[in-house]
Amino acid sequence: MARRHPGSYTGAKAQLPTMTSGRRRTVALVVCGLGWLAATGTASAHGGSLAGGGRESLTIPTWLFLSTGGAAVGASFLLASFVTDRAFVERIHDWGRPLSGDYERVLTLAGQLLGLAGLAAVFVVGFLGPTNARTNLAILLVWVGWWAGLAMTTYLVGNSWATLNPFKTLADLLPSLDRTYPARVGSWPAVGGLLVLVWVEVVSPLADQPRLLASVVAGYSVLTLAGALVFGPEDWFAHADPVERVFRYYGRFAPIGRGEDGLRLRLPGMDLSTPRLVDGPDEVAFVVALLWVTTYDGLVTTPAWRDLTTPLVDTGVPPHLLYPVALGIGFAGFLGVYQLAVRLSRDMSDTYLAPAVLAQRFAPPLIAIAVGYHFAHYLGYFLVLAPSLAVALTSPFADPAVVPTIELPDWFGAIALASVIIGHLVAIWVAHAAAYDLFPARLQAIRSQYPFIAVMVFYTMTSLWVVSQPEVALPHL
Amino acid sequence: MTDTATQSAAATGTAIDETYDVPADATAYTCSYCGRPFARESWLALHRGLAHPSELDDEEVEAFRAAHDEEEASLSAFRLQALGALVLIYFGFLMVYALV
Repeated sequence: MARRHPGSYTGAKAQLPTMTSGRRRTVALVVCGLGWLAATGTASAHGGSLAGGGRESLTIPTWLFLSTGGAAVGASFLLASFVTDRAFVERIHDWGRPLSGDYERVLTLAGQLLGLAGLAAVFVVGFLGPTNARTNLAILLVWVGWWAGLAMTTYLVGNSWATLNPFKTLADLLPSLDRTYPARVGSWPAVGGLLVLVWVEVVSPLADQPRLLASVVAGYSVLTLAGALVFGPEDWFAHADPVERVFRYYGRFAPIGRGEDGLRLRLPGMDLSTPRLVDGPDEVAFVVALLWVTTYDGLVTTPAWRDLTTPLVDTGVPPHLLYPVALGIGFAGFLGVYQLAVRLSRDMSDTYLAPAVLAQRFAPPLIAIAVGYHFAHYLGYFLVLAPSLAVALTSPFADPAVVPTIELPDWFGAIALASVIIGHLVAIWVAHAAAYDLFPARLQAIRSQYPFIAVMVFYTMTSLWVVSQPEVALPHL
Repeated sequence: MTDTATQSAAATGTAIDETYDVPADATAYTCSYCGRPFARESWLALHRGLAHPSELDDEEVEAFRAAHDEEEASLSAFRLQALGALVLIYFGFLMVYALV
């Protein structure tokens, strides 16, 4: 998504060549640092002497870069399989401390007011403020403050959006018709909503035109409040609202979460092995959609996508149709591969558990992967543009010619790569724990993971390939 | 309102059937405490020891011990294979990086 944001046209874009070479070089460093493949140290030494050069100056060929990433994931599965002490696995996942107290009510009120103030700022400055994307507070607040910054705090600290969400605060104030939310529909509106939001975000200049952004936010507000008005805020935000659900799932990764008895401290990611966290095929589809949109977002700016679609557009396929169709097909493909892995896993572990049970139990680990990619994608983006956001916050209607940004050092790409790999590691561990919980025999649990690990290795390699590609402008639009 | 109430009641009623999917011609060893079916007798013995430890009789405890020992043996064999795979990956990449 970085491409569509103001940062891509300032700091981030200018840094792309060094970032890309840095990223490829540092996959070796990351892997080496984690202690699996010490041999890659040689490659990083080569790369280091060529720092600052373009992609061509790399000593590691792409196939080796990709297979190193894939091997890191495969090797960490093998390492996790050495941990066969059930009690140890459970102790790690059950570790926690209660955090609740009387301060919560004050914090909630402050959070709700902050959320409302943020929404008001997006409307007022979005419609009336400067039209320059780099100085407009609405753009910076939504993309840098909310979608990058707040989302990062959601999985690094805790889900504050549950309290901040201004739509929920407003919906609670409004009356409700309290019609029963149709159970059959479940979370499918959230799945569709997520795909539509990402499609709109990719194909429209939402990060460049403050007026357009404010209009889209207004449209979303009307839709959300109408839904909450008809079905009641509780049901609407629990099932149908895609944004609320993204943050809720990210929040399940966080070290601070809400348990049965209030706020609780726990180890990051370890809550993802909880049973019934994902309940039903609709929620499985949402988790898969979350992972797919992350990939789609990067995929459409690769030269390969441009080369692949150019003949199609030349034969008369309208580009405006191309993007949503590709989004839908890719989502169906991801879901199909996941279901296939579930069926294979069922065959390999020789279990009588229904496929749906396995699909639900092994979906939450994917959230850890999505978190890893979000962090890789947005940490740099957030840091580069945070000073601009600070300036815009202090003077929302000023339109300075120069806005401050931060220059990221060359080694910064290493953090992005490390977070991608760590996301996969957490996912592998969580799936390992879930399998132990699900199957009585430990070897059966390990076998059940083979198809998922194969898919994960392939997915890692695909994602690393997308990351290593140069970014091109969105073709045909 | 009534519609959804019956629907959700039906959903909870069929939950047990939906959790398990035993092929018609397969042998299933079913847990007498919770009704979960297994494809192998040793898995049932392990399950009883892990999920219902306080309810077992002496014979079931003995079966759990035997299945657990058997499992330990097969795990040791697996660990060796996994170690072999790790060594292969490590030295494979060591050589590839030396050559490229």
